[in-house]
Amino acid sequence: MKKQAKKVVLALMASALMLATACGSNAGTNSETGTNAGTNSGGGDKPITLRMAWWGSETRHEYTKKVIDLYKTKNPNVTIEVEYANYDDYWKKIAPQAAANELPDIMQIDTGYYAQYAGKGQLADLTPYFGKEIDVTNISENALNGGKLGDGVFGMNLGVNSLGFHYDPATLAKAGVDSIPENWSWDDYLSIAAKAKENGIYIDSGMRAEVFFGYYLRTVGKKLYNEAGNGLGYEDDQLFVDFFGKLADLVKSGAAPTPDTLAQIKGVEDDMTVKGTQIGVWQWSNQFVALQQAVNRPMKFAPALNPGAKEGLYLKPSMFFSISKNSKAKEEAAKFINFFVNDPEANKLILGERGVPVSSVIKEELKPLLSPEQVQVFDYVAWSEENSSPMDPVDPIGAIEVFASLKSLTEQLNYGQISAEDAAKKFRSEAENVLKKNK
Amino acid sequence: MKSLAFRNNLVGYTFISPFVIGFLIFTLIPAAASLYFSFTDYDLLSSPSWIGLENYTSMFTSDDRYLQSLKVTMLYVFLGVPLRLIFALFVAMILNTTSKAVGLYRTVYYLPSIIGGSVAVSIMWRNLFGDQGIINVMLNSIGVDSVRWFGDPNAALFMLVTLSVWQFGSSMLIFLAGLKNIPNELYEASGVDGAGFFTKFFRITLPMLTPIILFNLIMQLISAFMTFVPAYIISKGEGGPLDGTLLYSLYLFRQAFVFFDMGYASAMAWVMLIIVGILTAVVFATSKLWVHYESEGGR
Repeated sequence: MKKQAKKVVLALMASALMLATACGSNAGTNSETGTNAGTNSGGGDKPITLRMAWWGSETRHEYTKKVIDLYKTKNPNVTIEVEYANYDDYWKKIAPQAAANELPDIMQIDTGYYAQYAGKGQLADLTPYFGKEIDVTNISENALNGGKLGDGVFGMNLGVNSLGFHYDPATLAKAGVDSIPENWSWDDYLSIAAKAKENGIYIDSGMRAEVFFGYYLRTVGKKLYNEAGNGLGYEDDQLFVDFFGKLADLVKSGAAPTPDTLAQIKGVEDDMTVKGTQIGVWQWSNQFVALQQAVNRPMKFAPALNPGAKEGLYLKPSMFFSISKNSKAKEEAAKFINFFVNDPEANKLILGERGVPVSSVIKEELKPLLSPEQVQVFDYVAWSEENSSPMDPVDPIGAIEVFASLKSLTEQLNYGQISAEDAAKKFRSEAENVLKKNK
Repeated sequence: MKSLAFRNNLVGYTFISPFVIGFLIFTLIPAAASLYFSFTDYDLLSSPSWIGLENYTSMFTSDDRYLQSLKVTMLYVFLGVPLRLIFALFVAMILNTTSKAVGLYRTVYYLPSIIGGSVAVSIMWRNLFGDQGIINVMLNSIGVDSVRWFGDPNAALFMLVTLSVWQFGSSMLIFLAGLKNIPNELYEASGVDGAGFFTKFFRITLPMLTPIILFNLIMQLISAFMTFVPAYIISKGEGGPLDGTLLYSLYLFRQAFVFFDMGYASAMAWVMLIIVGILTAVVFATSKLWVHYESEGGR
């Protein structure tokens, strides 16, 4: 089959499938075209149209559109068409576009999908633009290398995040605990959970399996994936049993909610931290502000658990902006990314919502403008910089399927349908099955 | 002469061309391509590589989740389709009565089917069956404990089945047409002979309707196998809890567009085609035993 013909067929297959599921996959998706600023010729440059896509919440959509408007006022010849959606729908929309070679010029890429898109040649290497269109003078090598894969950097790191426990001290007090010890350990955590349970309060809503299992493995000097990305990075299944066994015990004892309780939560208004029946949530630092605003009481950060927190913690790129390999206006796209990362005005709109900015200058510029909870996030990430270890290489191809398997197995574990030992074995076989394709 | 014949035919070809072109572009070529992809390892982003039957064999030997999706789908079809047909027939019989407002009733009862497959209804269903949803409130009022519809894997599938039963409209309309076709004399005659409601129903209505039942059965069977949207919406795209609502097409979709395993997804699609084909053939084969055609001397 000739390549062109194949593309057409694929596009049709994809569109037929998407048509069949159109309602499903486009729920919550919006498409808008900005006003064509190219008509009022400002610089006399020829008009350029870029497509840009991202996922996120309503807040993110709003300020991102404002940033784009700001860019347009400064570059009247550029029109940016935007496509945004929530996380799940975003990836379902992007995949067929990739198959049809129709990816947007600028697209937001998640670390989990990064290897899939970058490794399969869908994204442009950004290194030629560093120092030219994209100013990297104030960005550390480390931050840039968050998007390194092989010899290239296929995504611009938009900000950094760090893991932690975000909790409501008032609920903690209701649980009969004064404070969380400074370098708290698993024992502290479990005893706080037990006290909370006695007082009818949940400790947390569980730890996202793939993120925190990865963290736990790092604390004992192992990794979730091996160097080559074609197998798991730990040999002893007892590590799985130790980690998930403890978490499942919390669910079993009633210190953490069961999966069917969690399934009832439809939105932030049902969130148990918001309602004050749960002490806190384990999550990435950029999610703190939204939670704090929903809770609307002072909240605090606690670091991840000891022993080994320093080895376990790492600064993770929150997400990337990548340029599609097929983009016809790569330089223009790079210019916009530069604007997004380095422009003070733009960052006054972004305010670190995509993670703490990678530019040291921007970080300083923003400080006086931040709300108290945003300051907490910046401070925690600054603390993490001192108390963490370098990040693992980006997740290998197939990571999403491995996550899905891990998620489903921990769900079975929390329903009490499988023992931790069996889950550990099953996870190994399922994960190896997926990852062996990378050999 | 030849040109005249050609010109005559040309009109015909022109008229059928929209269908033929559409069929080629949107059905035949993609189907052939998917057959080819089903023998390859293909991740959408790089070119496919031939792996022979591996997709088909690993489906049945090393993929528990696939077998689970097959099981869930079978349950969904074999619970949902009969219930849906019974309910459709029931409503059709009610609407076959002579009432002044019957037009209004028919419209009202058909409405769910028009909006039935849509996202909005699935979301509404999610709310109905929520923790404080009306279903649980009703259960509580008769002294039954709330059911965690989204948390309990079996209950979640049951919820999908009820949603499918509720979308009975199209089969109901066809039943209604069938009911109208049963000659009233048959009922009158049997009434004279002293037949009651149940005798009339089982001796006249059902036998006379069997061709319609066959048609509805096959159509519903096929569409039930392809159900996607409600499971997608209600389980937030994941088929949970515990893969309890992982319908076949949902798993296929996940393989294709979440895990980027287009080859595997294509193979799944072909297996589904074979399964549906076999089931349809079985229904046709058994239909000789129970479908009653008046025009052929009862057979």
